[in-house]
Amino acid sequence: MKSPKNMVTPEAIDELFDRNLQDLEAEGTRALSPHIRDLARLQVKMYWRRLEQLARQVTDTEVRLQLPAQKSPAGRTFGIEGIVDIVREADGTTTMYDIKTHDSAYVRENRQQYAEQLNVYAHIWQELRKERLDATAVICTTVPKDVEEAARRNDEAAMVRALEKWDPVIPIDFDAGGVKATVAKFGAVVDRIEGHDFTPPTHADLKARVAGARTRFAVYVCRNCDARYSCRSYQQYAKGSAATQESLLKTYLADLGDDDLRDDIGIAALEIEPPLGTG
Amino acid sequence: MSLRAEVAQSPKPIVERLWKRFDFKPNESQREAILHSEGPLFLPAGPGSGKTRVLLWRVTNLVLTHEVDLKEIYLSTFTEKAALQLREGLRTFLGAASEETGRPFDLARMYIGTVHSLCQRMLIERDFQPNRTRGRAPALLDDLDQYLFVNKSATWARLLQAAGLEPSTAHGILNAYLGGRGQSKHAAASSTIAFFNRLSEECIEPAAIDVSSDPELERVVKMYGEYRAQLAASGTRLTDFSLLQQEALAVLERGAHTGEVFRHVIIDEYQDTNTAQERIFFRLASKHRNICVVGDDDQALYRFRGATVENFVRFPERCRKHLGVAPREIPLDTNYRSRPDVVEFYGRFLNQCDWKRPKGGSYRVESKKIRPHRKERGAAVVSSAAAPPEAVAAEIAALVKKLIRTKRVADPNQIAFLYPSLKSEQVHRMMDALEAKGLRVYAPRAGSFLATPEATAMLGLFALVFGRPARGPYRGEYWNYYNWLDAAEAEGERLSKLDPMLESFIDARRAEVQRSEADYRRLLDLVARKKWDLDAGYVPKAQQRRLAECPGLSDEARRRIGSARFNLAVDRRIAEGNPLKLKYVLKRATSADWSLLDLFYQFTLFEHFAAMFDAAQRSVDPDEGPVCNLSLLSGYISRFMEQRAPTIAGDLLMESRLQNMFFGSYLYALHLRGESEYEDAEDPFPKGRIPFLTIHQSKGLEFPVVVLGNPRKDPKTQRLEQIFDPLLAGSGREPLARMAEFDMMRMFYVALSRAKNLLVIANFRSRGNRINPQFNALLGNVPEISAFDTASVPTAAIESEAAPKVYSYTGDFLAYQRCPRQYLIFRKFDFVPSRSQTMVFGTLVHRTLDDLHQLLIGARHSTAQTQ
Repeated sequence: MKSPKNMVTPEAIDELFDRNLQDLEAEGTRALSPHIRDLARLQVKMYWRRLEQLARQVTDTEVRLQLPAQKSPAGRTFGIEGIVDIVREADGTTTMYDIKTHDSAYVRENRQQYAEQLNVYAHIWQELRKERLDATAVICTTVPKDVEEAARRNDEAAMVRALEKWDPVIPIDFDAGGVKATVAKFGAVVDRIEGHDFTPPTHADLKARVAGARTRFAVYVCRNCDARYSCRSYQQYAKGSAATQESLLKTYLADLGDDDLRDDIGIAALEIEPPLGTG
Repeated sequence: MSLRAEVAQSPKPIVERLWKRFDFKPNESQREAILHSEGPLFLPAGPGSGKTRVLLWRVTNLVLTHEVDLKEIYLSTFTEKAALQLREGLRTFLGAASEETGRPFDLARMYIGTVHSLCQRMLIERDFQPNRTRGRAPALLDDLDQYLFVNKSATWARLLQAAGLEPSTAHGILNAYLGGRGQSKHAAASSTIAFFNRLSEECIEPAAIDVSSDPELERVVKMYGEYRAQLAASGTRLTDFSLLQQEALAVLERGAHTGEVFRHVIIDEYQDTNTAQERIFFRLASKHRNICVVGDDDQALYRFRGATVENFVRFPERCRKHLGVAPREIPLDTNYRSRPDVVEFYGRFLNQCDWKRPKGGSYRVESKKIRPHRKERGAAVVSSAAAPPEAVAAEIAALVKKLIRTKRVADPNQIAFLYPSLKSEQVHRMMDALEAKGLRVYAPRAGSFLATPEATAMLGLFALVFGRPARGPYRGEYWNYYNWLDAAEAEGERLSKLDPMLESFIDARRAEVQRSEADYRRLLDLVARKKWDLDAGYVPKAQQRRLAECPGLSDEARRRIGSARFNLAVDRRIAEGNPLKLKYVLKRATSADWSLLDLFYQFTLFEHFAAMFDAAQRSVDPDEGPVCNLSLLSGYISRFMEQRAPTIAGDLLMESRLQNMFFGSYLYALHLRGESEYEDAEDPFPKGRIPFLTIHQSKGLEFPVVVLGNPRKDPKTQRLEQIFDPLLAGSGREPLARMAEFDMMRMFYVALSRAKNLLVIANFRSRGNRINPQFNALLGNVPEISAFDTASVPTAAIESEAAPKVYSYTGDFLAYQRCPRQYLIFRKFDFVPSRSQTMVFGTLVHRTLDDLHQLLIGARHSTAQTQ
């Protein structure tokens, strides 16, 4: 009989990955560009290389937790849902993991935000499900630049060094005390959504730096958002950095990233052949 | 006591305790239906009878009480939206249950969706393949793709050739036979497609048709054979919606165990299923025989798509035939939606038709007798005075204005105008009357979608950037289309004159397009002079410098060719033994940094469009109409981009190819087809606007106030039904002579039964204007608007859904907190993002890690068992 050890080969991971890719396409999702696809594949493979031991211990995967029948300040009934992975060790010690495709530096800087989330999940797990819980943590699957670089150059020695430096597991302290406040905050957001309140962050918010991201909100969030063009806050932000109408126009015309980024996107898209042909 | 403790103590099914929690009080028949767990079940469900709730609770009960695994349940719905609603409802109920019982559940593995999406899944998944390896699904053409495929010159020529038709006379001949008109290719292609689809849905193989006495039939049958050959011959295997079902059925019939995969097969809207689907369902249920069908024959609407209402009406006998057992029949006939007056009115309407079969029995399911649950007595159906259309429109518009002013509705979008067709003159008359009262309407599908002000303005700007094809010497719809294109271009010019920055922006983008084309031409010349092969591998050593130094080349193209990043990619490919082709180097050198969708979003920077977003975003009295149209347009542009122009580069710009493809072919096809009147409506409807819908679009919806804007539809037997009648002899279908009348009755029945609090009926009477006689008889007993007190209309409450909403911590809460506006535009208005890669990326990584964990867990279990 095969031991689990030799079951998970890089080929096996490739197969799982390709199958999901195919499923996503069958579900009508837009095709990923080869560049992005490679990056996703790398994340999965590096997760396995770096966290094999942890992955082997996972006892419950993609557990859907739900906090039903909450009341918002305005009296709306709603539920909260989240997904976690659970590791139960032989001695019963139980850890809850939230896998994020985020960057670990960002998560470390914004620990509070992740703590709030995991506390709600922990509350559901302990109080509603009556399960044991000893620790919570976030796993960040975004690989550091040097891992990406080592993979690109196919440099095994550099890869070993880069992986050693990478710490994708970030423990989060859990404390049931904050849950009530988080749920109340959640309820307030539900009311704002249902009450049609969609005011964007202000111009000042856009200029502020995002903790853990070393860039402004306008770059970290807005630059990846197609709705920025019609957004008054972003328009004001863009005007602020341009002295004349002409330079403002230039800003917008060149709003699609620097040469490197444009090259990356362009190269990735080159060989995509349109399915209905160009005739 | 906690639910868990109760579970241990009480013999009552757990769902009954959950009902209390969700404040659900089922009536006796709902209860019976929910708790039924073995054997076939037949649920004729009248309008507003809570069938979605019944389905949700029934699945919940199967899982919680009868230990049915979710992946053993097949649940198919008519629309993706309905599937989404059911999935969310199950998530709520099962989520609540598992928090109490500790039993987790996995909705991701459940088969829940439209028949088509489930067919696609069955073509892939191992469970259904003969050798249990993963299958490959063919690429699916939807209605528009299918039209574009058939209409393409190359395909069409081969189809005509197969039929032995001369191109010069073919269209007239086909139209005469299939019921189209004149010499139009569009009409011929459309009705030929309808014929193809019907053959596929009825599972009729060309060889099985006796064409010996009918040379005209023989021709179109030959075309069908050639069509299938063409689909199979294309590079990626293609299929259409109708053939997809046949393919799935073939897979099911090949595999020995495919009838045991599902313990329960549940079908919603069963009255609108076709023959291929019926076979699929009975095959899936063949082992366990737990098939549950829900529907309402009185609301059958889709005969023209091959739906056979007999599948539903005769379900008991079909069930005996296929499964050897009669179903349990439980009518769901308590109406929770409408005031008693409305329910009684549509009941009387249905009785205006004789449904008796000549040899006994009925063409309807007669077990259901719709009874109102609501108690508010009083008039809830009113009609306009019998008058000419202008007067009727004015009277109704005044009533609507009053209903809004006196807050009988919370938003104008709670008043729906329903029509058999939105192409009628009555529609425009009514819209004008409402607009004259200062009211705004939402009707993207009345007329052509392209003609909406938002699409006209945006596409006009596109025409200024890319140029547009010149008008050719044709009349008819072609002429109308070019009138629109002229108007769009003029609108683009007008807007750019108003806004100097917009003008400069267009100039800059146009210059890029021209530069890109010029660069490409120069590079192509060089390649020709050097006698290089575009399809051969790129050899940087020999070619890079030559390309970069090509005379007249722009700096940007030169930069691209020399870019370190690009050359790194090139070298990597050479090292891998798979060098990049030369043609892609030319493409890279000349491609724009932006896509068509990027350009769309960039134009929203300018005041004309930015103001529309402001109007949709404001919290008081928002107007969401224009932004909803822009969102639809983002979908059309993205679709074109993905299928035909992922990258805008010199090769696409040469010889006006892009403008011909986009304006000359794609948008023209959209114009010709009109937007389908049967397309799903965008529910919920934009705030601040009164929605105009076809009755087909209103299926499954409800509104506090419904206006039946044109109670006129002349029953006319469809040509396709005449052609298929002999082919389907003996199938027990309704008699050809009655079909059109039945269908007309059912359609109006759907319209009338959408109303919750008030139903308003237009009553036209003048030269050339009248309403159907079935209404004439009834309107005598209905008060007129002038004698009606609007204060008697109950104020419309906030919609209560079948289950309370569950919000995702990350997808809703965190996304909203990051940026409420971004959340509005992409989560609520569904704009297609230009850079959607991040979302797909996350799903892909998460799913694969989940699979990896599953694999490891599974392996551990099997190791533990062997030890």
